[in-house]
Amino acid sequence: MNEIACMSGVELLMDYLEGVVPEDVRAGLDAHVAGCPRCAAFVASYLATPRILRDATAATLPADVEASLRAFLRARTTAFRSRH
Amino acid sequence: MVVPTPEPSDEQLAARAAAGDDSAFEAIVRRYQGRVFRLACRLTTDTDAPDVLQDTFLQVYKHLASFRGDSQFRTWLYRIASNAALMHRRARARRPAEPLDVFLPRFDTNGRHVATPTELQVASRADELLDRKVLAAKARDVVSRLPDLYRDAFVLRDLEELSTEDVAQTLGVAPATVRQRVHRARLMLRGYLSDLVGVKP
Repeated sequence: MNEIACMSGVELLMDYLEGVVPEDVRAGLDAHVAGCPRCAAFVASYLATPRILRDATAATLPADVEASLRAFLRARTTAFRSRH
Repeated sequence: MVVPTPEPSDEQLAARAAAGDDSAFEAIVRRYQGRVFRLACRLTTDTDAPDVLQDTFLQVYKHLASFRGDSQFRTWLYRIASNAALMHRRARARRPAEPLDVFLPRFDTNGRHVATPTELQVASRADELLDRKVLAAKARDVVSRLPDLYRDAFVLRDLEELSTEDVAQTLGVAPATVRQRVHRARLMLRGYLSDLVGVKP
């Protein structure tokens, strides 16, 4: 098998992580990353990205928004029912 | 002895709600309101999220009769919420999007990473290196700058943590398409985090 360059390894990273690359490609990627500190560092930051953005964008439902939702649904579902 | 009643499944609640049981519909709302609101914030803005939340549950109520037990209720609900979010995004005048391609990783002519290991790693420490509030604002902003298709896939897969299969079902595309879109989004966002802490991706 041809030696994997960083660029083609990066292209395959998601498929690799989801277990959908063929076994020989997987072995080639493992071998490349094991010998390439740049790719090892890249993979670490690639894996951290979803977690960092998940934590940074986690909103909680404010009480007033919840109260408005209740009032809205009470009014609109009653109206919908009376028409159907 | 009190025997605890097992929580009804989403699908059981949906069937009862469709048959006219309002308490079952309320239970669905209570179970999912927090998640739908969080999703709405991630797919639109803080300003639009309350409306997306309301629209979503009203649509759910109106279409309960057409929900078929052969798909997962949660996937069906997320599909309604994603569509409601899309309607709100379209209604807003869009500012010209600055492409995020500049944050993609750089390679030399041999296909090797240009940046050093230290530079390549730094994005994973963005949450330690940046003020929480600053990061929260920047994160919201950059997710909103993703092209629509990437944004939906990335938000559902990586922020709401649905499986690739469930995202594919929610968006009505193939799992391979989801993987490709999420991957592209991750690459751009990773580079963005790196840039945010002052290191070229």
